[in-house]
Amino acid sequence: MSKLKYFVQQSWLLLVSSFFFGLLIAVTNAALSGRIEQNRIAKLNALTKALLPDAERFQPLDTNIEVQLPDGSKEKATIFEAFSSDGQRVGWSFNAHGTGFAGPIELVVAVDKDFQKLMGFNVLASSETPGFGDQIKSDYYRRQFINAPADKLMLVKTGSAAAIDSQIVAITGATVSSQAVVNIVNTFLTQIKNQMQEKGLIGNVGQ
Amino acid sequence: MDRFTALLMGFLSVVLVNNFVFTKFLGTCPYLGVSGRLDRALGMGLAVTFVTALSGTLTWMVDAYVLTPLHLEITRYIAYIVIIAGAVQLVEMYVRKFFPTLYDAFGIYLPLISTNCVILGICLFLDVWGTNNLLEAVVVSTGTGIGFTVAICIMAGIREELILADVPKALQGAPITLITAGLLTLAFMGFAGMIK
Amino acid sequence: MSASNGSISSPYSVALFSGLWRENPTFRLLIGLCPPLAVTTAVKPALTMGLSVIFVLVCSNLVVSLMRNLLRPHLRIIMFTVTIATFVTICDLFLKAYQPQMSEILGAYVPLIIVNCLIIFRAEACASKSGPLISILDGIGMGAGFTIALCILAGVREILATGHVFDIPVMPKAFVPWLALQMPVGAFITLGLILGLINVLTRKKES
Repeated sequence: MSKLKYFVQQSWLLLVSSFFFGLLIAVTNAALSGRIEQNRIAKLNALTKALLPDAERFQPLDTNIEVQLPDGSKEKATIFEAFSSDGQRVGWSFNAHGTGFAGPIELVVAVDKDFQKLMGFNVLASSETPGFGDQIKSDYYRRQFINAPADKLMLVKTGSAAAIDSQIVAITGATVSSQAVVNIVNTFLTQIKNQMQEKGLIGNVGQ
Repeated sequence: MDRFTALLMGFLSVVLVNNFVFTKFLGTCPYLGVSGRLDRALGMGLAVTFVTALSGTLTWMVDAYVLTPLHLEITRYIAYIVIIAGAVQLVEMYVRKFFPTLYDAFGIYLPLISTNCVILGICLFLDVWGTNNLLEAVVVSTGTGIGFTVAICIMAGIREELILADVPKALQGAPITLITAGLLTLAFMGFAGMIK
Repeated sequence: MSASNGSISSPYSVALFSGLWRENPTFRLLIGLCPPLAVTTAVKPALTMGLSVIFVLVCSNLVVSLMRNLLRPHLRIIMFTVTIATFVTICDLFLKAYQPQMSEILGAYVPLIIVNCLIIFRAEACASKSGPLISILDGIGMGAGFTIALCILAGVREILATGHVFDIPVMPKAFVPWLALQMPVGAFITLGLILGLINVLTRKKES
């Protein structure tokens, strides 16, 4: 019994203060978590709106669309339908993610209303090397995705970046990061598009 | 075989390409204060490797099996730091009991290690990188420790030579060490793109 | 750690002002060097980090000082660390809520404040031995010194690497940016050179 008494005698301060600290953190968290979540949503909306300027409202898609990731795991895709101020559908957006060079890359990808053309992507989170892989955020790289066909894209090392087609020219010195973005877009885009066509959510138009 | 390659790539990545000292600036604090002798650097590096391997694994397990399921992520930092302090104590006791000669060699550094940025760093980055299996956590943690050891051993070796060189008075000591570290960072940048 | 060199300054002003230059943590004491290298790519993150450190330092110094007579010798360090970790968690929450962009840029370096040698050093050397008021002043002084050092370093790096500060162009148009300064190389070398410069200035003063 004296061992317990010794233990308490030595560490009571640690236990008591831990309790108070825990309380302090819990209170702060409760007070701020609403705002933190708002920030996250505001950021996603802002980045998506940059890709679909006419969009006023984003409606999350209820239908369960599953994407299989390269490592075999499956997850439910986060898809939004974008509406303009007069209620017309102007496009779709979905969150995509995968592994880059220095860590995970999270993107928001936008497509036009019939899933025929890409409207571009924005980086939500990444930790790529500044000056190299970080250039996936640059206009030079991102511009190649705008109006590209919403089908499987291919990364090439040399070519015309100005030509808008399914070939994406890699960033010099950042092949891995460039390929990662192309892979992420391909994985999510093709699977989401197929399932949405199967479920009749978008038309099955050829061109 | 693919799983093994992924682990090997992950290991090489933290040792060479994303070395914590040269790309993330962690672990330089205690190093600058400690003298630049190679054998001490090696001792400290090995001690740090023990602790990073242990802490990285433990914190990953606690995060995956306790904190996330119970939605206690907010206590993450406190939990990590307590585990690290405990891991340092554990390693110290273990080394003192079973490897007394080793303890004499680098025992002094062990208490210092709990404030080493590398250790908390790897615990945090395992989370940021979305590591999702235990084996990967173990390999990457150990790799980070080894990367740290490699980095400070190289720097210690260079520092030993610098004592004999003709360094301008203003730059002696910390300044030239930092500049050396900068040049080493540049050298290590050559490894970027090694991992395909 | 309150130095007295024969001057009649009160312990309060010593506590407040010594951290600014004479015992500047970054330039003179050479502790807490991870943030100066990591977050000084631009002045705004450096300033945010500096203010966060001031917050954590003042709070933890205050709490440690209030607890100083109750501390058990072998649990001292863990008490310090838990206290610091609590305030860093709170600071992190505030940053995520009110400065989400800065929180993202600083990333994992905010929780790394917990192992910043500076804070534990001040808790050990000053707060655990002094009254609350001195501890607070010491926290403000050291924190301010740290912030100033960070901003100087960041200012040099940002101006020379991008020609801008806070998005205000500063360098003449003909200036070619030294991009290397924004990369890890630049961090180490700039800090090394600044320390060298300070050595030169100090020696001139003493002679």
